[in-house]
Amino acid sequence: MAQESVDLSCDYQFWMQKLSVWDQASTLGTQQDTCVHLARFQEFLRKMYEALKEMDSNTIFERFPTIDQLLAKACWNPFILAYDESQKILIWCLCCLINKEPQNSRQSKLNSWVQGVLSHILSALRFDKEVALFTQGLGYAPIDYYPGLLKNMVLSLASELRENHLNGFNTQRRMTPERLASLSRVCVPLITLPDVDPLVEALLVCHGHEPQEILQPEFFEAVNEAILLKKISLPMSAVVCLWLRHLPSLEKAMLHLFEKLISSERNCLRRIECFIKDSSLPQAACHPAIFRVVDEMFRCALLETDGAPEIIATIQVFMQCFLEALEKENKQLRFALKTYFPYTSPSLAMVLLQDPQDVPRGCWLQTLKHISELLREAVEDQTHGSRGGPLESWFLFIHFGGWAEMVAEQLLRSAAEPPAALLWLLAFYYSPHDGRQQRAQTMVQVKAVLGHLLAMSRSSSLSARDLQTAAGQDTETDPRAPAQQLIRHLLLNFVLWAPGGHTIARDVITLMAHTAEITHEIIGFLDQTLYRWDRLGIESPRSGKLARELLKELRTQV
Amino acid sequence: MESLLQHLDRFSELLAVSRTAHVRTWDPVTVRRALQWARYLRHIHRRFGRHGPIRTALERRLHNQWRQEGVFGRGPVPGLASFQALGHCDVLLSLRLLENQALGDAARHHLVQQLFPGPGVPDADEETLQESLARLARCGSAVHMLRFNGYRKNLNLQEDSLMKTQADLLLERLQEVGKAEAEGPARFLSSLWERLPQNNFLKVIAVALLQPPLSPRPQEESEPSIHKTPGEGSQALVHWLLGNSEVFAAFCRALPAGLLTLVTSRHPALSPVYLGLLTDWGQRLHYDLQKGIWVGTESQDVPWEELHNRFQSLCQAPPPLKDKVLTALETCKAQDGDFEVPGLSIWTDLLLALRSGAFRKRQVLGLSPGLSSV
Repeated sequence: MAQESVDLSCDYQFWMQKLSVWDQASTLGTQQDTCVHLARFQEFLRKMYEALKEMDSNTIFERFPTIDQLLAKACWNPFILAYDESQKILIWCLCCLINKEPQNSRQSKLNSWVQGVLSHILSALRFDKEVALFTQGLGYAPIDYYPGLLKNMVLSLASELRENHLNGFNTQRRMTPERLASLSRVCVPLITLPDVDPLVEALLVCHGHEPQEILQPEFFEAVNEAILLKKISLPMSAVVCLWLRHLPSLEKAMLHLFEKLISSERNCLRRIECFIKDSSLPQAACHPAIFRVVDEMFRCALLETDGAPEIIATIQVFMQCFLEALEKENKQLRFALKTYFPYTSPSLAMVLLQDPQDVPRGCWLQTLKHISELLREAVEDQTHGSRGGPLESWFLFIHFGGWAEMVAEQLLRSAAEPPAALLWLLAFYYSPHDGRQQRAQTMVQVKAVLGHLLAMSRSSSLSARDLQTAAGQDTETDPRAPAQQLIRHLLLNFVLWAPGGHTIARDVITLMAHTAEITHEIIGFLDQTLYRWDRLGIESPRSGKLARELLKELRTQV
Repeated sequence: MESLLQHLDRFSELLAVSRTAHVRTWDPVTVRRALQWARYLRHIHRRFGRHGPIRTALERRLHNQWRQEGVFGRGPVPGLASFQALGHCDVLLSLRLLENQALGDAARHHLVQQLFPGPGVPDADEETLQESLARLARCGSAVHMLRFNGYRKNLNLQEDSLMKTQADLLLERLQEVGKAEAEGPARFLSSLWERLPQNNFLKVIAVALLQPPLSPRPQEESEPSIHKTPGEGSQALVHWLLGNSEVFAAFCRALPAGLLTLVTSRHPALSPVYLGLLTDWGQRLHYDLQKGIWVGTESQDVPWEELHNRFQSLCQAPPPLKDKVLTALETCKAQDGDFEVPGLSIWTDLLLALRSGAFRKRQVLGLSPGLSSV
């Protein structure tokens, strides 16, 4: 308690000084500084109110002798009055100063003074004597016409901005950069006032003719903050303009999304999809510049987490939402696919961007083989044209969960000899870093496992232990090795689809899951599989039911 | 119903008193009661503002009040000034009391407590008084900041936001006054003319005459039976201007040519009077042989340039106004003797100037030199 009170005193001194410098915030410097500090000052006001409301007027003045000056100075700063709830909290603080039963004339005078300040805050700073006289003469009070006046001013400014944007050549009617910058500063405290939305939108969308950015960064930050906290609703075009004009805002939006994903329940793709759609990023990413930045941030996240499966899953969901949004976009404004993936060969991009739903089921195998060939070509091609080598190709491939997750299923479903192309693709997907030899070994291993699984699928009775042996899994090999993860997923897939699979499913899982990490991995796998089946509609009722039950049980275990 | 109307009467009195020193006698109970009445009436307005019979009754009562107080001739209404005001009568009362330093200590304390109870559970249905007041403060700051940091006066007055707002208010008030009393608007406008800064008032009238027909306020859209014809306010203005030649002369003198042309195009009833004025002004000028220009005899005479300006602007208006003007000029020229030589009749000279101006304009625009239109 004592520490808080010391903190408050320090803060008090700091803000008293600031307010004195800001005065009525009529210069560029004071306006900028005020804008930067608005949120913190409001917090300070809140803390002050919490302290003041416990004291009576005399005690307050003993503790903070200059409190009346502080509050009065704040009231003279229109930026502070315009911001969020600051005017309310200021009023509450002022009310605390009133003496319930004034003992002498000084206290009475103080009460009068407080009343005066309250009245000043509310009577709206008058300007334009003529206008004031006119409205008074008609019998109107500010409450009658201020909302209408604000609306007229906002619309008039917005249309002036639009005209400025369109009339490139008419220099007489151009808005000067100073005026634009000034407007953007003034909007910072007003962002969450709905009446001002048309002006905010116009400022974002109409970028005038100067080569460099004129609007103040505080403006962009304030708008972005309001968008992320859902305190303002702007059309998509305005949001895209914001993110194109002010890169830090886009980055902040992505970080905000990451934070939400991290703090939400693990391994629930449906929720991830909700968050992603909610963030408006997929729609914005229809603009290639935004897509590139978003993709880059995903790549960084992937590198930092060493290829965490959750990040891969998020990227896949994002791509899906993005492609849906792209589909809805106006076809005339569509950018060429190349602009989204500038470093990829066009043929590979074209194939990967196909939605499995648009390809006849019978052709899926063929498509996967084609993808494999193209990728292999890109990976094994070490000439100057290729960028980044195998990791780049892998990063590209993992975007497309529809295809990437399908490889194992396709291999298991066919009774024929597993095609080398698919084996390669599967090995590549699970460990992109492997050298040729290592990958060849993995392919051989997988082929063997597939063979065993095929044989077992024909037998009438299955046992979990047999399955494990067939997979060559024993407790001595490092369970985290990529090949092991691959084989785990093959087994799980098998168990979900094979006729007798449901009987041994739980046993298989128990044998597999020695650690909590692996259990999470299995949960992730099941969640992802169900999500994909839902979307592509390739579920069989039995498999689906089994998967759902297993998922539920495992979730309660961790 | 009668009790509601009595409530209205008493509240209107209260509102009027709230500005005077009489509040010195108010105690906390009075303050509380006043605020309660305000809240009640606001509630009534919200619930029954669209409902025919109740709304009509309330309006009629208000109009009676105004008539009794003989308000239209004297000045702004001391109590409730409009039906719309009921929608925020609690804010109105609160502000008046807060501004009134005559309020006693106990009453003041109680008022402040009532208005600003502090953070708490917000009312789910209606915005609390505290919220309304905070919003007003915020709105006021917004207007202030935009005014001093972004607003620039629009040279086309009818598009200027400050002008438009004043014009909207004038039209609204005229409509309400017109409902209260048939001769209301005329007397009201005359009293405004005497009390308000005249230059601004004239501009506002011009802008009001150019506004698109008043759209109904959102909350009244569902009411088809309310007798609101768009343009009633404008009609009242035109009627008044035509009935007050001194005002109309000032109107035509003070406002720029372009604006007057727009106004006369929109309200044809004004054009004969406007033209009449211009003719009068023209006839006061005589030709100075030495200087070779038309001059006036007294300092307040309208100079040639201004006269020319106005006629030029009128000739650029769409027909039928343009044709009327030309006809008038031709008629005047004929009455003067139908001279073709300059320096003898101002009307000849004007027509010559207008024609050559038009000719030059057509040249600039690359059109064939057709003189038939002028």
